[in-house]
Amino acid sequence: MASDGGLTENCTRLIPLADIDPGDDRFRITTRRSDDLHLSVQRLGLLAAPLVLDGADGFIVVSGFRRVEACRRLGWGSIPVRVLRAPTTMYACAIKAVGENSLERPLNLIETSRALHVLDQHAPEGSIPPEDAAALGLPTHAGLAAKLKPLCRMPEEVQAAVLENAVSFAMACEIGPLEEGAAVAFARLFRRLKTSLNKQREIVTLVSEIACREGRYSRDVLSEAGLLRVQDAEDLDHNQKTQRIRRLLRQRRFPALAAAEDRFHALRQRLKLGENLQLAPPRDFEGTRFTLTLNFERLEEVGRLRAQLDELVDHPDFKTLLTGKGRGFAGASVP
Amino acid sequence: MKIAALYIDAQVADRPDTRRICRRLGVPTQTVASADDVYADVAAAEDPIGSGKQVLFLTRNKGAFLKECPGTRHYTCCGYRILHIGSYCTMDCSYCILQAYFHPPVLQYYINHEDMASELDRCLSEPGIQRIGTGEFTDSLIWEPWTDLSRTLALRFARQDRAVLELKTKTVNINGLLDIGHRRKTILAWSLNTERVIRSEERGTASLNARLRAAAQGAQAGYPIAFHFDPVVITDGCEEDYRQVVERLFAAVPPEQIVWISLGAFRFMPDLKPVIQRRFPDSRIVYGEFIVGLDGKARYFKPLRMQVLQSLAQAILSRAPQTCVYLCMEDDEVWRYALGFTPAERGGLARMLDEAAARIGGLGSGPRRR
Repeated sequence: MASDGGLTENCTRLIPLADIDPGDDRFRITTRRSDDLHLSVQRLGLLAAPLVLDGADGFIVVSGFRRVEACRRLGWGSIPVRVLRAPTTMYACAIKAVGENSLERPLNLIETSRALHVLDQHAPEGSIPPEDAAALGLPTHAGLAAKLKPLCRMPEEVQAAVLENAVSFAMACEIGPLEEGAAVAFARLFRRLKTSLNKQREIVTLVSEIACREGRYSRDVLSEAGLLRVQDAEDLDHNQKTQRIRRLLRQRRFPALAAAEDRFHALRQRLKLGENLQLAPPRDFEGTRFTLTLNFERLEEVGRLRAQLDELVDHPDFKTLLTGKGRGFAGASVP
Repeated sequence: MKIAALYIDAQVADRPDTRRICRRLGVPTQTVASADDVYADVAAAEDPIGSGKQVLFLTRNKGAFLKECPGTRHYTCCGYRILHIGSYCTMDCSYCILQAYFHPPVLQYYINHEDMASELDRCLSEPGIQRIGTGEFTDSLIWEPWTDLSRTLALRFARQDRAVLELKTKTVNINGLLDIGHRRKTILAWSLNTERVIRSEERGTASLNARLRAAAQGAQAGYPIAFHFDPVVITDGCEEDYRQVVERLFAAVPPEQIVWISLGAFRFMPDLKPVIQRRFPDSRIVYGEFIVGLDGKARYFKPLRMQVLQSLAQAILSRAPQTCVYLCMEDDEVWRYALGFTPAERGGLARMLDEAAARIGGLGSGPRRR
């Protein structure tokens, strides 16, 4: 580690809380807010003094944001702090800020991102020495670090979705670079749907491609009345909402294919095949061969299936199914 | 795109063709011991795909000059043979498969023409009709400003009666071909599209008007002419747009001089999609209704292809019923719907094309090579 411990050796002092700049979050790593920390401080006192830097316009918190906030909440007039002695480099402060968090507890994704970001901002040669990252327990793989860093600059709602595990790291990397409105709209949707990564990916792809095709913003596609209605429907659970939204988007993205699928299913339903006889079309109606699957256990069942097959061959809807594929089972029109 | 730098494989540095190209290009030149040096330079660029269009690498073709058309078994292929004169292209079409085909893509031109000539001699002495083209891994005529290859090839094909050479292009670089005795053994072919597609997707190519004017010039010079509506891009109103192109085509070239017209709906390898999205963010071409075809390529949903290809075929055949119209990489179901027959009913696509080549190019008959 590029240690300058001699320069940053600190002393503990009692300072007025009002002298600490409450708006300076530059070294904040934690994503937790004070919540009930003030209760434990009230009962046990402040067990460890926060770390601050003596800045030109007051003290800047380097580590201990929640403790300072808890003391404020308790109405304290002053607070014991460890003060970093000047001149202290900002990078040394960043290392202290990160180390006092990362060496005490596992960091979540947003905290890791903040840690990398704050170190990166002040790193002496523009990038964090890998030895420092390793010593602080941060990822040292350059590719992973590059993906993590932007997380903490994404819109608050995206970060909140990541913290709730409603949006995975992989998905955050996908929606993060989108225009802000879209990233927020996706995060909001996924916080409500609580659906899997694959389904999220499908939704993002469908929405983005519809938007690109129509020269619109993704957020506008996501605010279409049909989608909003499903999201707000009180009689649907998460899974049902997800399923309906995927279906609606698919119909928008692939109107002719989705219509052909619907018509195929409607025709197939009219055949009343039952559970022991299944008819599957060629995938996406591209190939030419349909598949019939017969399920049976006993000879009598085979006999019944044979009779059913005989009926099927003469059924007009079956003929329509076999011959109408190329027209999407109707007059498929060009979009 | 203009060539900004020339790399020369040390093995071909002293060849007269190399020196001639250097003189004609007049750009900074660097001799390299290995293709890896060129690839490394191109790969280091911010946009290697675009960068590869601005450097020309003169080298030897260490493999075969003649290759079979890379068709797949699920869809009907034309059975064309590719004469591999070079690779990649100076034009920049969003949908070009060559962007994802070479890693990294580099404009290469092969100088060892004596090897090509002897391979061609062997091929042209085989029995049966053959259709050979240079426009698969590159545009046939982008090389004209710096080389005389097309002229040399056209003269070589003029000395035999069993094969036709198809030069497929989106340029108008035919001046060097107009005054030679081609004996109709060279087909000048243009890839055509709607004004809208050319404007939005075909950067650096000749306009539709210019292509049709060049085709008319080629026809006046007695060349058999071919057209390729490939890729057909399905969008709102595209059928009418394609009908208008057909009208203009027949206003430029008389039907009796057209050897064939192919129709191929846009299809692409999955790897190409992110390339198009990255390099052509304004292009909407990949947002059509695509499904995964039997060959793993993205293709328009079949009924959409069938409808547009049928409409285009009808537009052509209503003007020129005798013209050989064929579909590129489609199955029998699409053929029957769009054209009313399957290739097998006419002896196979290769035979249909051989017969068209024989009729328009005056080739001798004989059993097919394949």
